[in-house]
Amino acid sequence: MLKINNLSVETKGRKILKGINLEIKKGEIHALLGPNASGKTTLTGTIMGFADYKVSGGEIFFQGENIINWPIEKRAKAGIALAFQYPPAVKGITLSQLLEKTSQRKVTVKEFIADTKLLDREVNVGFSGGERKISEMVQVMGLNPKLVILDEIDAGLDLKNLAKVADLVKNKLLLNGVSLLLITHRGEILRFLEPNVVHVMLKGKIICSSHHWRKVWRTINKFGYEKCKQCPFLAD
Amino acid sequence: MAMKNANNALFWQIDHQIKKSESQEGLVILPSRQAYKELDWTRNLFVDKPKEGYFVWLKKQIDFPLTTCITIASPKTTQNLTNLLVIEKNIKAEANVVCNAAEKSLCATHRAQGRLILKKGASLVYNHFHQWGEEDFVNPDYEFILKENSRLAYNYRSIASPKDLRLKTTIVSQKNSSCNINFVARGLGSKIAIEDTVFLRGVGARGIVKLRLVGGKDSQIKAVSKIVAEKESLGHLDCQGLLINEKAEISLTPQLIVQNKKAQITHEASVGRIAEESLNYLRSRGLTEDEAIDLIAAGFLGEEEPLVIGGRIISSKLYM
Repeated sequence: MLKINNLSVETKGRKILKGINLEIKKGEIHALLGPNASGKTTLTGTIMGFADYKVSGGEIFFQGENIINWPIEKRAKAGIALAFQYPPAVKGITLSQLLEKTSQRKVTVKEFIADTKLLDREVNVGFSGGERKISEMVQVMGLNPKLVILDEIDAGLDLKNLAKVADLVKNKLLLNGVSLLLITHRGEILRFLEPNVVHVMLKGKIICSSHHWRKVWRTINKFGYEKCKQCPFLAD
Repeated sequence: MAMKNANNALFWQIDHQIKKSESQEGLVILPSRQAYKELDWTRNLFVDKPKEGYFVWLKKQIDFPLTTCITIASPKTTQNLTNLLVIEKNIKAEANVVCNAAEKSLCATHRAQGRLILKKGASLVYNHFHQWGEEDFVNPDYEFILKENSRLAYNYRSIASPKDLRLKTTIVSQKNSSCNINFVARGLGSKIAIEDTVFLRGVGARGIVKLRLVGGKDSQIKAVSKIVAEKESLGHLDCQGLLINEKAEISLTPQLIVQNKKAQITHEASVGRIAEESLNYLRSRGLTEDEAIDLIAAGFLGEEEPLVIGGRIISSKLYM
């Protein structure tokens, strides 16, 4: 589905990503863990094609095609969908108007929550953390994605709501072989989604990729990210 | 969304020809020249001796909107309209006023001067739609007289801006009257000059003016919005501009002139560009850059109620 080869990225003259390699197959869930400023959001922005991120080396393949020169909307239409951690406000446009413009299939907020008043509110204007996540997931679902990227979908949620969100992701978003790249620095969500592969990113490099998310998370919990480099248990 | 229907315009002028002028019980609608000739009392109220245009006199409550339509259909036509609208005491009315060009490149001129008088306790929602061609010159100059306890909601929307738009509006607000004025315009290769002044002339008068201006492709927009508080009164100016093109320019000048120490007049003004982050967001939903810009601009300008006139839908969405 997605294959990243030796990707290096700069933003504002600073080298952020240094030789990233990542492969996500159809229907797989991958989690990317890392502390703040490790380069996780830069990677998602680069996969989406945001102009702020300059690719200085490497390739990104999506369904076999090198998408490195594709504009953002072409990537979205091809099936890459990003749920933003901090989506910007779109004043004067309601969520239902935005869905009308962007959805490739009919989705309803009801699939996620009973309260449909969210549809009549301006996009991301005064949304609570939970409402933002619902709005992002509804939009992403409407795009008929093949690869979903959830950027810190767990941020700011207590365990109860985290379980709810994870349940929605599992049972509503990840159907029919949709792949998931889950960006997080907390890790609790892993328990609910049970990723196939977990990656640890530090200072712009993926320093570890493992099929054993429990082992990885336990180690991070115990020793912190900085100890990952020295951890003898992580490598498969 | 409900759609206003102006198929039954009460007054319709195309170029210089009056296609329709239809009075009803309690409602007098005449060509301006005829009113000036036949109704002596109107002579002091017309701002000038009229050559063309309409006279509307609402004497009784009606349950339908007053709809007028002024169209230019022939190339290089020059209209010089003088309009007068009088709403009698305690009458509540809604007016849909459409001025448009039938085609995009007629190189026409539309000049309109007018006076609208709301008598004591009257109330008017005045929806003014402009839809012009890219080579037209348009110059409306309207004065609203709000008598004691009257209410005006004036919504001006330039759906398609002409090459050159000079819009002048004066509102004179007397004791306890109120006005809520909304100007919405989007320039596309246009030169737009807006000059509006609200005189809060009576004790307890209230006025709110809101400008939403979008500077598109090579447009130059200049707005001077002024409130003059002559008596103890309340007023607020809210002027905002959005630049969506590198070569566009917006100049906003809010002016507050306060001549009474008990008056409370405030203003806010800003001009901004679309943040890259917002474009990325909408493009990541599959919209092209132009579609994303249009959506943000539409949201900024606010929702509009589409109008149907002569079987055609008048809506800025058709121009986006």
